[in-house]
Amino acid sequence: MIQMTLRVLRNSAIVLGALAAMALPAAGQLRVVTSTTDLYDIAKAVGGNKITAVHIGEGYQDPHFIEPKPSFVLQLQKADVWAYVGLDLEIGWMPLLLDGAKNAKIRAGGSGHLNASQVISVLDVARGNVDRSQGDVHPLGNPHYWLDPDNARKIAKLFRDEFVELDTENEPVYDANLKAWNAKLEAAEAGWRDDLAAIKGKPVVAWHTSWRYLAEYTGMNIVGFIEPKPGVPPSAAHLAGLVNTMKQKNAKVIIMEPFYDKKTADKVARETGAQVLVLPPSVGGLKGLDDYISVMKYDIHTLATALK
Amino acid sequence: MLVSDVRAQLPEDARRTAQTSASVAASAKKARPSGFTREAAAPQGQGQGPVNPRLLPDISAVGDLIGDLSPDGSTQEDGTRFGVREIEIALQAAVDPSFRGDVFLGFSDEEGVHIEQAYLTATSLPWALEVRLGRYLMPVTKQNTTHRHDLHTIEHSYATQRFLGAEGAKGTGVWVSRVISPFKFYQEVILTVTDRLGEAPEDLVVEESTNEDLSGLAYSARLRNYWDLSQSTNLEVSGSVLTGKLEQPVVGAADGINAVTARQSLYGVDVTFRWRPLQQGLYKSLIVQAEYMRQMNDDPGALPPPEVPTVPVVYAGLTQSLNGGYLFGRYQISRRGYVGGRFDIVDDPLFGGDRSKAASGYLIYYPSEFSKLVAGYERFMPGSGSATNRILLQAAFALGPHRPHPF
Repeated sequence: MIQMTLRVLRNSAIVLGALAAMALPAAGQLRVVTSTTDLYDIAKAVGGNKITAVHIGEGYQDPHFIEPKPSFVLQLQKADVWAYVGLDLEIGWMPLLLDGAKNAKIRAGGSGHLNASQVISVLDVARGNVDRSQGDVHPLGNPHYWLDPDNARKIAKLFRDEFVELDTENEPVYDANLKAWNAKLEAAEAGWRDDLAAIKGKPVVAWHTSWRYLAEYTGMNIVGFIEPKPGVPPSAAHLAGLVNTMKQKNAKVIIMEPFYDKKTADKVARETGAQVLVLPPSVGGLKGLDDYISVMKYDIHTLATALK
Repeated sequence: MLVSDVRAQLPEDARRTAQTSASVAASAKKARPSGFTREAAAPQGQGQGPVNPRLLPDISAVGDLIGDLSPDGSTQEDGTRFGVREIEIALQAAVDPSFRGDVFLGFSDEEGVHIEQAYLTATSLPWALEVRLGRYLMPVTKQNTTHRHDLHTIEHSYATQRFLGAEGAKGTGVWVSRVISPFKFYQEVILTVTDRLGEAPEDLVVEESTNEDLSGLAYSARLRNYWDLSQSTNLEVSGSVLTGKLEQPVVGAADGINAVTARQSLYGVDVTFRWRPLQQGLYKSLIVQAEYMRQMNDDPGALPPPEVPTVPVVYAGLTQSLNGGYLFGRYQISRRGYVGGRFDIVDDPLFGGDRSKAASGYLIYYPSEFSKLVAGYERFMPGSGSATNRILLQAAFALGPHRPHPF
């Protein structure tokens, strides 16, 4: 009887140990949690097997309006690094999660609190006084900066610096990973050079201001937005004005994210003969686009094809 | 001053940022395809300097306006048809590396200026403990932790109103909570001890105050359990208990005494189901919520000496147990529009414990996340007497950086 009990206890311990080993990252791995899939993908590329990473938002979800589910708190409780876009993109949900996690490492001022916007040349920084009559404004600037590969490089370097600071021993690994990823991105850029030529200077209409950085990178000319003000759904009067603008500027493409209601864009397209492109703004925004470079390649190529 | 001198004066984080920006800008320029260059601007955003250089707290105001178009006259306590139910001013900031402070002041015609909540939260405790000191909304039942203006409905459920107060229950004391996950799902334990149960009644005089000994303080416990059922659905099942002593009326006592202390306990279970598809989350969502509460009123035991020796003191407080609850649902019909409904049932202490019922429906429109317009119809069937119809309107708005509300 005693032997049987000991055997059960021993087997239980083995099973529990195995489960624990599966649940926990390997010794020494940094635990990284990111707000978006783009930051997740870049962090994984730079961190390689020296980190474990998870993301809060999905690529097909509006990052402004993520629900601060309690289950995310559990992910943040043991995180070594919390990386987020910043510029108030996560203002509606991040404070609750960080408060709930009670993890000093990732609170503001902590060693693992990583605001990726700190290395970005931000567009649309508010000048003068701003208030909410201007819509869902981001006074610190437009937060959708990852859609410019130049900014992605800066984010990758930032991750490298952060990981080296927290895990100096593996500096050569992070350096090598960063170099490899930059080379991959550079090769991809060479591949889409012709597509950029097809896009440059062409008029398009966008749903939200999230495509401003892509416009900076590609040279496409955003002549109007479906939203009259950031975050504000369009009125009939605004759409009528937009139709006129599109006709005047000969804009034949409307770009939008997968989480907006396509019916509105389709209506404008019918009246102008334009084509609606649902472009993923983030990794995972469309099935099969599981890394940053694939997303950029898809967006640029789809745009170029429509604008040729 | 040389750039290197400036960098030497920067804190480590800023220095790293500056170095990163410079080196990245150089490598980016090199990698950029020819013909599509743009000059790198100076780093902005956080790099421009702190957002709040004067260390001011976040200051926000919430207005809660109410209209009552009920056909048989206003059903508001003050009898008005249109009123400012409350204005709430919030001041919130980190106090120092160890604490944050949250102060909510309420302004209303009925109550004047009052402290809604004011608490200090310890943010750096070991074992992920959270400790609050001060006044807070009692963490019992699901609705009670939500400010009235943030409810999905115009008023609290009748069970909440009758058992915890029209605006819910507050307490002043110590709050300790911890998130745990021994079974791999989210659980949170919240324990509080507060000075008393509910607000002190102005017109009841007792021999001994409720907090005379420690057993008379109010104690509460809440266990939250949360599961993600799928990416778009989740379930919360929680239980609460609140116990303490409060004043209950007596008749015929000597020395101006008109009340005794008696224990009252509240047990509650709440269930909340949420559905919000991630991709269409701007346009579609559903919340179904139900709560059950049981209020138990203990016999006070010894009564005070009678004023007239031959006439015994009569206890006029509650002794029976009261039950109540509600079922609520809200469905999102467009990006800004929602429809909702609630069914209430409660053993109503205002009607001697007879059962009151209410059925209500709501149309809710959010012009943005910072304003809300609600129109509601309610049929209230009291424990005794005839039913009344109520038509209520609400407009609520928020100014300033109001922090997000608990999930």
